[in-house]
Amino acid sequence: MADRPKNPLLLAIASPAGRAFLALLLVLILGTIFNGDGAFFKIGTHRDTLRQASVYGILACGMTMVIISGGIDLAVGSLLALTAVCCAKMAIHWNWSGWLVVPLCLLVGGTCGAISGAATSWLRIQPFIATLSMMVFARGLAKYASGGMKVSTAIANPDGTYHYVDVPPLFRFVDNRILSGNVSVVTIIFIVCIAFAWVLMTKHRWGRYLYAIGGNEEAARFSGVPVIAVKTMAYIFSGMFAAVAGICQAAQEQQGDPEAGVGYELMAIAMVVIGGTSLMGGRGGIGLTLLGVLTIGYLDKILSINAVPEAGRLMLTGAIIVVAVLTQRRKRA
Amino acid sequence: MLLAMATTIALISGCKKSEEKQFVIGMSQCNLGEPWRAQMNADIAAAAAKHPELKVIFKDAQNDTLQQRAQVEEFAGSKVDLIIISPKEAQPLTEPVAHAIEAGIPVIVLDRRLLGTNYTCFIGADNKKIGKAAGEWIAKALGGHGNIVELMGLQTSTPGQDRHSGFMEGIAGTDIKIIFSADMQWLEPNARQEMESALSRSDKIDLVYAHNDDGAHGAYLAAKAAGREKQMKFVGIDALPQEGVVYVQQGILNATFQYPTGGAEAIDTALKILHGESVPQEITLNTRLFTPETVTQGGAEVK
Repeated sequence: MADRPKNPLLLAIASPAGRAFLALLLVLILGTIFNGDGAFFKIGTHRDTLRQASVYGILACGMTMVIISGGIDLAVGSLLALTAVCCAKMAIHWNWSGWLVVPLCLLVGGTCGAISGAATSWLRIQPFIATLSMMVFARGLAKYASGGMKVSTAIANPDGTYHYVDVPPLFRFVDNRILSGNVSVVTIIFIVCIAFAWVLMTKHRWGRYLYAIGGNEEAARFSGVPVIAVKTMAYIFSGMFAAVAGICQAAQEQQGDPEAGVGYELMAIAMVVIGGTSLMGGRGGIGLTLLGVLTIGYLDKILSINAVPEAGRLMLTGAIIVVAVLTQRRKRA
Repeated sequence: MLLAMATTIALISGCKKSEEKQFVIGMSQCNLGEPWRAQMNADIAAAAAKHPELKVIFKDAQNDTLQQRAQVEEFAGSKVDLIIISPKEAQPLTEPVAHAIEAGIPVIVLDRRLLGTNYTCFIGADNKKIGKAAGEWIAKALGGHGNIVELMGLQTSTPGQDRHSGFMEGIAGTDIKIIFSADMQWLEPNARQEMESALSRSDKIDLVYAHNDDGAHGAYLAAKAAGREKQMKFVGIDALPQEGVVYVQQGILNATFQYPTGGAEAIDTALKILHGESVPQEITLNTRLFTPETVTQGGAEVK
């Protein structure tokens, strides 16, 4: 466009955040029209929407960092399954305290992230390939660690019968609700993740380096940015966020399912992109991702409360994502 | 008993050897990653362990059709006495099985079908019958009327379609209304989300019918979070020992219908074939119903 609008309101709408907000607003308006016999106006529906979107949203936090660095992380869905299995094994079968289980799960996720990160930044394997390998590997590891079975509160005896143990306190705590039942704890965990990512990316030097690398990696290297360390760190954070999501998943299912999280990485990428963060790297932010998470989360819920058949759901979701991304397209002056 | 069996075997093998004849059975499983299929192998191993003259070689095709094809060819090449196959898909595996039959090796097909009838025996359960049994049980449990939520398995898969159409037959002619239905693709998190939608839409739900136990468990968790789990019943399908049966024991599910693996029946049939007895070419397995009353006795057979 030759001349930019001077009106402050138009400027706000034209900004990436403004556009992402507009997309969310449109989805919410759709919800008030197709409200599923009034279900959309019940507070429980919104609590459930946020609960359901939280696991994806936690993955999207790490995904935002990696995408801004100019990469992509396809491994998060598999890492979610791996940590869910580890978490269930430690908390249910071995009866370990949550204070031990959570750090160990973060360690598992962080280690896998460090391997993907080192492979991309140090060994210079393309992020798509490096994290694709980790996605396949971690899925295998999850199946190996679980013995191919769901890790649940039914524990096999040597003679083939089963004995049962209680759902561990860690799971009860995470799958709880607070504020007189109006907010799920997983939603609070998601908000904490968003806040943590926001501080890192906007208040810490690491965040500035991340944008610099995503914008122009060579230039960043010549300006003395420790490229390898900063990029690897992004994948480590992504792995740790995947671990948090895995713990939330295990707690909500009351089991560790090695098949969990298939396709979640694509959902997380869609949430980041729909918020307005560029897949080319260097542009975007965690606030935009929050809007993207809400947009897709609400879209999903509105289709669900209207009992739209699966075929229609997939087509509508695809169509709405492309429309939202089109409105996000930055017009160069 | 053992003596009688040894004599029979000796007679069949033409009295050439005085010691017991060993039979080698090759078993090709399409995907051991699925718990139900792991259970099938466990059932086969447990049944075979009762017959010391049987030796079963297990192979896992890891959800790869071509690998499974190679396994059937390997078994045929190494001249096993009998092949049991639970095929991944019909078309590509029909011919390898036909070649084994031509080579004089009997083949038992478990659970999924092949094209045509060029095999010795097919053993499988009927999802439509199970769906119908579930529908009839539900109609009785609700006294012929009530509001139902149906959480369906993947509707592009035959089990998902059959468990739905059989169920509709089972509740036909009653005043039972399906007030909400959704495709949860066999996945627990999806089932939980869909159930939350059903709960916010409707204040009166009498029963949840899910096409698998995972789905029923997800629905239960959603209802429990809403404090409404006591107002409704939960019914699932599959009844795996470590999943559905446990849920019934824990009081989470009111009923689950077993989708039998046919592992034990396969070994029984294999013994008959190996001893030269005739077997029917089609064996349809009956489902077993697990309720809190019958769960300790291993369920009750539904004819």
